[in-house]
Amino acid sequence: MKGEILPPMTATVHVKPAGWRHGIRLWVPLFLFWLLLLPLAVLALPFLFIAAVIFGVRFWASLRAGLSLLAAFHGTKVEVENANTRIFVNLH
Amino acid sequence: MNDNRRQVLEMLANGKITAAEAERLIAALERSGTHGAGATAMSEADKVKYLRVLVDTKDPLDGPTKVNVRVPMQLLRAGVRLTGVIPASAREEVNNALRKEGIAFDINNVTPQNLEELIEQLRELTVDVDNENTKVRVFCE
Repeated sequence: MKGEILPPMTATVHVKPAGWRHGIRLWVPLFLFWLLLLPLAVLALPFLFIAAVIFGVRFWASLRAGLSLLAAFHGTKVEVENANTRIFVNLH
Repeated sequence: MNDNRRQVLEMLANGKITAAEAERLIAALERSGTHGAGATAMSEADKVKYLRVLVDTKDPLDGPTKVNVRVPMQLLRAGVRLTGVIPASAREEVNNALRKEGIAFDINNVTPQNLEELIEQLRELTVDVDNENTKVRVFCE
């Protein structure tokens, strides 16, 4: 787990709503979401830089910390299940 | 075989200590040997990786419900790194706000080094809440 520098690239979601006989298994390509977000992030960078200077925050350190926070979500698992409903989410 | 262990065995052979006492002494020697080497050379595999929360409840309406959450400890480490970029003035404000609430805590003391020690202590932590309808278990793995 140590050394993960990129945010989770995929997620698996398993949902079985109440009343459904079978659930839905989804493989979610999160990397597509990151790819879409990348141009926006690049556009926002100058504004974030100015804001960091104004508020006295170390810009590059914050950026690194933010990215490592996103990367830290690797391996997160949430499973909730009862007699009728089931929701499993796994981040890879 | 090291000197300490040989000494214990010699004491046992000479009848100075009983077999049970020798066993306890050897176990203590093994523990101290493991701790001495382990503190510095702990491998990546030995580190605590996840915080687990397991909830098993019997709801009168929904029936039995199970919750299983696994949170990577890396998230905690990243969070602490994020506190490192908070400006000094903001840190002071946070400390003042905590003091006002009666919490004597200095966020300047939250460093990655301290955090590793804390996480290592969490390895031993297990919280079990058990009542008639609900079981909650929190532990690290």
